[in-house]
Amino acid sequence: MDASEREQYRAAINGDREAFEMIIRTHSRILFAIAYGILQNREEAEDVVQDSLVKAWKMRWRVRDPEKFPAWLSMIARHRAHDLFRKRRSLRFPDEAIQPSEATAPDTAAMDQQLHSALATLPELHRAALTLRYFEDMDYQTIENTLGLTNGALRGILGRALASLRKQLRPALASTD
Amino acid sequence: MAIVHDEIDSWLAADLYGELSTEEQRQLHTHLVDCAACRKNHQETKTMNKILEETLAREKPSPNFEQRMLAGFRNRVPQRAGLGRSLIDLMRFRSVQFTAVAAVLLALVQVGRVFTLKSTTTPNARVHYANEQLSEEPSQIAGGLVPARASALDKADELAAGKPKDLALAPPPPMSAETRSTTVWSSKASPATVAPAETRQAEFAKQTGAAEEPKAPSADTYRANDTIEQAQVTNRKLIRNATVELEIVSFDDAIQKITALANEGRGYVATTSSEKQANGKLRGDVIVKVVPENLDRFLQKIRGLGELKNQTLGTEDVTKAYFDTDARLKNARVMEQRLIEMLKTKTGKVADLLQVEKELGRVREEIEKMQGELKYWDSQVQFATVTISLAEKDMEVPAAFLIKERSQLALYAPDVEKIYNDIKALASQTVQITNAQLNRDYSGRVSATVSMLIAPEESESVIARVKSFGRVENFQTQTERIAQDGSPSAVGSENAKTKRDKVELNVTISREEQEQAFQQTSLRIRTSSVDEKTKDLRSAAEKHGGRVRSSTFSRDPDGRELANVSLRVPMKNYPALMQSLDSLGKVEDVTVQRQDRTGTQIDEANAPADVSIQVYSQGNIVSHQSGPFATLRRTLAQSAGAIMWSVRMIGVAIAFLAPWVIAIAAIVWITKRIIRARRKL
Repeated sequence: MDASEREQYRAAINGDREAFEMIIRTHSRILFAIAYGILQNREEAEDVVQDSLVKAWKMRWRVRDPEKFPAWLSMIARHRAHDLFRKRRSLRFPDEAIQPSEATAPDTAAMDQQLHSALATLPELHRAALTLRYFEDMDYQTIENTLGLTNGALRGILGRALASLRKQLRPALASTD
Repeated sequence: MAIVHDEIDSWLAADLYGELSTEEQRQLHTHLVDCAACRKNHQETKTMNKILEETLAREKPSPNFEQRMLAGFRNRVPQRAGLGRSLIDLMRFRSVQFTAVAAVLLALVQVGRVFTLKSTTTPNARVHYANEQLSEEPSQIAGGLVPARASALDKADELAAGKPKDLALAPPPPMSAETRSTTVWSSKASPATVAPAETRQAEFAKQTGAAEEPKAPSADTYRANDTIEQAQVTNRKLIRNATVELEIVSFDDAIQKITALANEGRGYVATTSSEKQANGKLRGDVIVKVVPENLDRFLQKIRGLGELKNQTLGTEDVTKAYFDTDARLKNARVMEQRLIEMLKTKTGKVADLLQVEKELGRVREEIEKMQGELKYWDSQVQFATVTISLAEKDMEVPAAFLIKERSQLALYAPDVEKIYNDIKALASQTVQITNAQLNRDYSGRVSATVSMLIAPEESESVIARVKSFGRVENFQTQTERIAQDGSPSAVGSENAKTKRDKVELNVTISREEQEQAFQQTSLRIRTSSVDEKTKDLRSAAEKHGGRVRSSTFSRDPDGRELANVSLRVPMKNYPALMQSLDSLGKVEDVTVQRQDRTGTQIDEANAPADVSIQVYSQGNIVSHQSGPFATLRRTLAQSAGAIMWSVRMIGVAIAFLAPWVIAIAAIVWITKRIIRARRKL
């Protein structure tokens, strides 16, 4: 984290709105990826990001160390998404929740369905790592920083995530080949 | 190679995301060439990646995602400016919180100081006083500064606690006829003695050294402190003095009591002197110094010691003079300093130097004078001086007595003015009118007062004549025997001469109507025709020499008639009137109230008696107050009243409980919020 970034976080904590809006510009996609990784639903993820930002602004004075601001922001989004996820599970059947968000061709729709089911079986952290990778094209180091993982942990996580998906989608993969 | 095979999933993923180093890539490719299973996995992973990329690309946030987030944020958190907002923001920082707490504590300390400031002046005054003690008595100083100070403080303590030992006056020794004993103990620092005392103290301060100095600062420091404190409490410099002249039974007893009272008032007895007189009685003066605040209380108590003959109380405001002198003193000190500088630096002509020396001498003299003045004022302001002159009772035997007679006469008359003029016409050589007044108030009531002095031999006849002018309501005579040289209650003076003085007579005349009735009667008469009977009643009253003072007549909706008549008749006609009332109807509820005035001579036959009569008829048999409807109405009204009362009580209860309920609810709500917030983060 360079000095200007730290300065920005500090200003945001001290109530500088412009600095906070700049953080919204740079961080909302990451937050979205995290939320989507958990919820697998765009609308809900967007809501979560929005809520998290508002909450972060109101609670910003709780952060003592500006260095930890981005990690804190991600944490809020993760908790929030988690809350929503739990609430949704108690309301609906999980199968219903996982739906393709756009109308697609029948075969791709079937593929989507399968992929989403497979993703749903993954641990939350794995899903979040995957979405960060595919949405934001982040390298391992950045993903680790964002999710608060130790150095090198991501390599195993992504490997296991891909392997798990591969095993579940093996029949479909065979047909596409 | 085995490593690659075991962890093929991670390697493949890392390869896919370009996270393998060149060396690692080489290793992976070598292994893939060898291992068919891993090759298959590699192929599948690539396909997986493609599918994921395709699928997740559709789920990616739209390009204007950030803009939407920003807009939403701005919408939900409106920009709030203003002092309140920034204050709230500010209060969230720990440093600001600490500062605020510190500020509040400081403010509390200041408030506390304001309250306690008054009491802190007392010990200070005590120290000041002890110091004066110190400067007064060089012998004590010679014995060592610190012990002397301690003992002085002890003495001051005793004074404050009202327990004098050796300081205050012990009961004075019995005095012989010709001795005149004077005990003097004064804390007054006279101008002449102060300056040397001060220099002595300065020397001692030097001798005791720097280590002792904080313990025993010079008198000047204390004085300065004291003046500042005093100036803070009251900026005024008031000198209060009082003189009291008392006649007491025993001189020694009085001195003892005065000493005790002085100690009570945080003061002391400064001087006493006594003198034995030719008749064997003691006479003397006591000068007491008390704290000004306690002066009034002290004087009040002193009065209880004997008979007060004379008392004066004076206050002198020296504020202006004091501060003027203070300012002049400061100027003179500056001047002195300047002259000293001149002597040090200037090496001019001898004549000039002499001139400067002379001037310096003059300035120093002035300074000393002013210092003395200030000290004198300080001592005067600090304590109020009470001079008590005591004289034992019964010093002179009265030579003769004078009999003084004073009479009060109250008359009632129908025509005040006429009587007033008649009495005034009595004036002659033996009757002297000293005061005559005729008053008429706004309601037209007339009253008069006449005061006269009558020669003793004429008094009986004149008073009898005045009495005959009207009806005597009250007559009182007071006789006083006065010793002619002014001391009353002379014992054993049977052989003294007695003389009668002029008789003083005060007459008040008022109209008969104003007279209070000697007897008041109230009764009710029930009859069928109220109007007619009332007329009969009026004529009966006139026949018996009575007058109708007021009458009312009313008829209520039930057909009941009611008349109130109030009459006044002379007492002698009262029984006859009462008898005639019986013929008017059934007399009920008779109450008689009589005012017996003791000690006054009353003309009973002519004294007025008030009779108030209520004549009423029974009216309709069934009134609106009974019957089913009235009962129903009453019941409803009562129940409505009861309901309203309980509603009011509920309101009171709510008003009583509401603040607590709201406070508890607020606390619960806040606690819940805090717990929830903790859990979420």
